[in-house]
Amino acid sequence: MCSLDKYLKYKKESLMHLNLIKEEKQMALLELKKVKKIYQQGKIEVPALRGIDLTVEPGEFTTIFGPSGSGKTTLLNMIGCLDTPTEGEIRLNDKKVSDLSRKELAMTRRYNIGFVFQSYNLIPVLTAYENVEFAIRLIDHSSELQIKEKVLKMLAEVGLKGLESRRPNELSGGEKQRVAIARALVKEPKLILADEPTANLDSENAAGVVDIMRKMNKELNTTFIFSTHDPMVMKYANRYINLKDGMITADERRG
Amino acid sequence: MFSFKLGLKNLTRQKRRNALIIFVIAFAFFGYLFMDSVMDGMEEMSFDNIKNYDTGNVQVSYPEYWEDRDKLPLENLIYLNQDIEESIKNMDGVLGVSPELRFKANLNNGIDEVAVLGLGISIEQYNQVFATKNYVVEGSMFAPGESKAVIGVRLAELMDLKVNDYITLLVRTKEDTFNTIDVEIAGLVRAPNPMINNGIVFVPLDLAQQALNVGNGVSLFALKTVSGDEDTVTRALTDSFKNKDLDLKAYSWKESAETIIALSTAKKSGAGVIMSVVLLIGMLGIINNVILSALERTEEIGMMKALGMREWEIVFVFMVEATGIGVLGGLAGCLLGYAGVGWLVKYGWSLGYIGGDGSEYGIPILDRIYGTWNYPAFSFIFILGVIVALLSSILPAYWAAKKDPVKAIYHR
Repeated sequence: MCSLDKYLKYKKESLMHLNLIKEEKQMALLELKKVKKIYQQGKIEVPALRGIDLTVEPGEFTTIFGPSGSGKTTLLNMIGCLDTPTEGEIRLNDKKVSDLSRKELAMTRRYNIGFVFQSYNLIPVLTAYENVEFAIRLIDHSSELQIKEKVLKMLAEVGLKGLESRRPNELSGGEKQRVAIARALVKEPKLILADEPTANLDSENAAGVVDIMRKMNKELNTTFIFSTHDPMVMKYANRYINLKDGMITADERRG
Repeated sequence: MFSFKLGLKNLTRQKRRNALIIFVIAFAFFGYLFMDSVMDGMEEMSFDNIKNYDTGNVQVSYPEYWEDRDKLPLENLIYLNQDIEESIKNMDGVLGVSPELRFKANLNNGIDEVAVLGLGISIEQYNQVFATKNYVVEGSMFAPGESKAVIGVRLAELMDLKVNDYITLLVRTKEDTFNTIDVEIAGLVRAPNPMINNGIVFVPLDLAQQALNVGNGVSLFALKTVSGDEDTVTRALTDSFKNKDLDLKAYSWKESAETIIALSTAKKSGAGVIMSVVLLIGMLGIINNVILSALERTEEIGMMKALGMREWEIVFVFMVEATGIGVLGGLAGCLLGYAGVGWLVKYGWSLGYIGGDGSEYGIPILDRIYGTWNYPAFSFIFILGVIVALLSSILPAYWAAKKDPVKAIYHR
């Protein structure tokens, strides 16, 4: 090997060591190893997750389904850095997040994860535009004009053009959930977690919301993980994880 | 500063509750400003009434007389001579000098008798120092050389006396023998200082000196000085007496008003208590509001945490809201206070509402307390109120911000 090659190899290794460049091989976005969560109810220990092993690649559109109490929400909370596991390890973007401090978890959520909740959780005093703006203001200090452009574009993407100045109480359930999706997407996170995003919607609105999520997944290559009971919603996913009693009983990829 | 904007927008939520807290804070601020104005006004009026109708700005007497002055002795009097009067008159800042002979007397109207304070005055000199002549409501002050008396309206009512009626003052001479002063009433006076109206009989100085057998002795000199020069004149006079080997001493009006000054100091402490209560009211209102808001917005707090907001950022949102309430309450309170104090300054607060005149409460004010403008009190209470609102929101806001995100989002 000539000295130039040697130097380039040395340089690449150094940079990799310093985490400045990644290995050419695609890394998993999310890795869970033997994750357990046990809730303490008085003296009784209630296991919610019983050793979850899961790897999610970037760009996947994954649904987690299972009966009530199977641990779907708990699993999403662990992945979303809202909660920490009792045992096991969670790595997000190759960074161990299972034992981060509260502040570090907040920062991880701020820059890497978007959330969509069943009950929308929009701020009622803010307009649709402001609800979306709120999320991006936390991470993006661009000019007013640039932020406005981004927010309006995102609202248009989710089909809310013209409704920007409406407050949540002036929007339908489907429209509210679209605002919530826009809010999750506007900061261009690596991962979006949606906990039963269509549970409060009629089938038409539910289909619309999932369509948007799928579109964003394809266009922006954003990874989606969402929990649902709804078979109509499930059919859109390209990966199905069945959860039962805190354990993965099936993990299937399609299409 | 989106969090700032959100905090302000949150003010539009729970309009009724916020309005109620703003109203409570405003009312408390108003109460403080109103009371502050009443107390300041009362103090100012009391001091003016002491200076203008009772003591003058400075009094000169022998220290032995001064110590016993409440007993109205006829000992240790100052015997008038030109030197003394001239040295006082010529002092810088002195505008008038009134010799006074104060004595115990019983006023007799032929049927009843009442103890009064007799005041022998030289009318022209008295008028240079005191403003009593402006408050003669019937008749007039007696003229120089006239052997007449002037009494207060309340005393006249009590003794059923009118102008031109004759009265007898029963006095004890310096030698402790009884004597009388028989005079016609020249005028009735209703001065702002109730003491003048209730228990003083003014008679000509020479008449009093003759009846009391004190020669040309006077109890003291009451001086009018340039406003604010009292202390300088007091010091200068005392030094001048020392230089002339006179045992006389000058006393500022403040030494005669010790009780009122003590009362005023006590009232200032009272104002501190009122202010503490006002701030406590504001503080409890704000704490209550932040806790209720946090309970109502639990899911929202959870969502904020899911968005990655740090605890202090959530606290900041609540603090802006609480401070906003403090600012609005403070502004409303200051506006109400402005209106209330304006009314108080213009129309005054009648002591009749609490019965009687100020003398019944140890205040030398006749019937109406006028407020004063104390602009620093407005700024002080407003700024302090806003700071208290801000500080009192921190703990409950932290309590809200520390909520477990999972429990908050799912409102468990």
